[in-house]
Amino acid sequence: MSGTRTLVHLLSVAMLLLWGGVLLYFYISGRLVNYLPPDGIFRPMVLISGIGLAVLGLFNLLTMGAEDPGCEGHDHGHDDHDHDHKDCDHDHGHEHKHEHGAACDHDHVHHEGCGHDHSHDEPKDCGHDHAKKAGGCGHDHGHTHDHAHAHSHEGHAHGILDESSWPGRIAVLLILAAPLSWAALSSPDRYSPNAIVNKGLYDPNYTDTSRAEQFSLQNKPKTVAKVVDTPPAVSASLPPANVTTTPPPGVNAASAAMADGAKKVNEKDLPKPAQASKSYGSFSLEDLKAQVPQSKDGNFILEVPELYYTGGDVEVQRVLTGQLVETVAQILPEKVNNADGHRLRIFRMLVQCCAADARPYSVPVDFGKKAPEFKDMTWVKVTGKMNYKKEGDQTVPIIEATKVEETTAPENAMIY
Amino acid sequence: MIFLADLPAPTRMGDILMAFLSIVFEGAPYILIGTIFSGIIDAFLPAKLLDRVLPKSKVLATLIAGFLGLVFPVCECAVVPVIRRLVQKGLPLSCAVTYMLSAPIMNPIVAISTLTAFKEFTGLSFATAGNATMTIARLSLGYLVAVIVGLVVLRFKPGQVLRHSIANKIAEAAADDGHTHAPAVGFNGKLVHAMRSAMRDFLDTAMYFAIGVAITSAFNTQINQSLLNTVAGNDWLAIPSLMGLAIVLSLCSTSDAFIAAPMTAFSMAAKLAFLVFGPMMDIKLLFMYSSVFQRKVVVSLLIGLFILIGLLSGPWMQLIQSLYHKP
Repeated sequence: MSGTRTLVHLLSVAMLLLWGGVLLYFYISGRLVNYLPPDGIFRPMVLISGIGLAVLGLFNLLTMGAEDPGCEGHDHGHDDHDHDHKDCDHDHGHEHKHEHGAACDHDHVHHEGCGHDHSHDEPKDCGHDHAKKAGGCGHDHGHTHDHAHAHSHEGHAHGILDESSWPGRIAVLLILAAPLSWAALSSPDRYSPNAIVNKGLYDPNYTDTSRAEQFSLQNKPKTVAKVVDTPPAVSASLPPANVTTTPPPGVNAASAAMADGAKKVNEKDLPKPAQASKSYGSFSLEDLKAQVPQSKDGNFILEVPELYYTGGDVEVQRVLTGQLVETVAQILPEKVNNADGHRLRIFRMLVQCCAADARPYSVPVDFGKKAPEFKDMTWVKVTGKMNYKKEGDQTVPIIEATKVEETTAPENAMIY
Repeated sequence: MIFLADLPAPTRMGDILMAFLSIVFEGAPYILIGTIFSGIIDAFLPAKLLDRVLPKSKVLATLIAGFLGLVFPVCECAVVPVIRRLVQKGLPLSCAVTYMLSAPIMNPIVAISTLTAFKEFTGLSFATAGNATMTIARLSLGYLVAVIVGLVVLRFKPGQVLRHSIANKIAEAAADDGHTHAPAVGFNGKLVHAMRSAMRDFLDTAMYFAIGVAITSAFNTQINQSLLNTVAGNDWLAIPSLMGLAIVLSLCSTSDAFIAAPMTAFSMAAKLAFLVFGPMMDIKLLFMYSSVFQRKVVVSLLIGLFILIGLLSGPWMQLIQSLYHKP
């Protein structure tokens, strides 16, 4: 193996170990919880692939001296190959003097001035040494040929690192190593207010039904199980959501099952999703108490996404209006309907698959007087009375604050 | 557990780095799977096997290639190194392109995630397809588009489409026809060879991936996403703008349905365009495809897919819906 080949091989191994190392570090240090959701296979995949990259790197490091079998026992036949130099229509008259040793180390004797960058498509171990000799060609090409010398072993993978010249190799190594290392060293593991605004902090759509299944308060199917003899699996997977195709949230399994046929006909006639809140079936204070934990003062402890989704359901609003609720969230200034400066906005980030798709779910907090000053992004515990106001074309859930105090961040900053 | 106090304060740059890392964590495992798979193909799959298995007619072979994702389910990050290798192993180019475009859509994992995201499990059974409108529209349109592109590619020679280094290898393999050479000696030798291929493929793919993810993370965190909502109501702009979003977001095909489903402002046709176009083309793929194809081919693919899917998604959604709601 020639010096260049060895170096490229070692650098390749180093890149694998770097990528594997970053994956493993984030998994082991626990910082990964800020990037990927706990459910599904996302987090285990990071561990597995971190180990996989490390093993792949070490395997290639330890077998570096091994012969690539494709190299053994046959003639390389360099002479048969036409150096198809597209850029200059003349014969270069190369004198390839191949001295194939046992380990396929050949010496290519090139004439100076040709400036070829021969990327031989051969297994690494067959490292060629291109020795250049002055004189002979007598013309200056002034360009580098970046052609692959196709050898008779088909399919030997040669990556960019093998095929490039040194400036190219350095660029590849930088692209592979720099952004990842930089991100690993300086990622704050959380977003700045700027990103949160860009991700839609001030554009809430309270009638959204995308993850209503998870967060909307509704007449839960537990009372339903005894009414119908539908298998539990069916009622569990019953969709509360997508307005355009499926029954709305809160329709319990019984009515959905009974009306299934009729609904299908009606759904397609539904107009485009209206912005106004709708009724999704009956909801009572008992339902609320049964589902939502209460603090020792009797406040209903709700997450911001749960409050957010109440903006779409008139039945829940009827029950929740005037109730004391309590929630922990981050705080930012309010920019919507806040001419008098009485409001702040609290939000939680909701992640679907990875932190890049995190979206803020937010509700305004009204103080009834000049809102107190909080540092952006402060974690606060807000206690207040729920109210609903028609603002613009939607019904906005508003917490009329009775108490707002700074608190520590919850274990999971993002909700999954 | 590291305490927040130890971490740098959030900044605009920090936002980009955070988004970058999270997409790398989501995608890198699949690139590794794809590259190890491609290394194993390289070392252990006999070169002539594909010729024997696939039908002689290239059109028929292309039609079949569109379904290969059902057997070898991969997402779009994993498919690039795999087809790069398969092409070198003698898989006809049209089949490879069709497989590359359809596998990230026509694939059981994606079908399940789309069913879940659009809440289309209701009424789904072996007897009836329930109301799986979006899932069926997505898989069928994905297949159709992939086959159309594959058939267009049939008209070109590999040398016109592929990067020169890869085209040369195919030409070389063809010239080598009949020449029996034992590329591997025993299992150990093959394993060494497979792992070396996997290493190189991973680094090649990861480099293009890193460029694409860096650009995507900048868009993802620095551009106000609500700008797109302003065009949602317009029938003419909704479809192209969601395809534009798909390019920018570079989501994995296994998870993009969860992002599309919540966009209540957009029509089903626009969401369909997002879900078919996204797995075939986005910023990270633009760069990853460059490891296989010539630059002008990648650009043509971008423009062609944009127009094709933009035109087809509206009528296709209508067709599927009308099939469902037939009295």
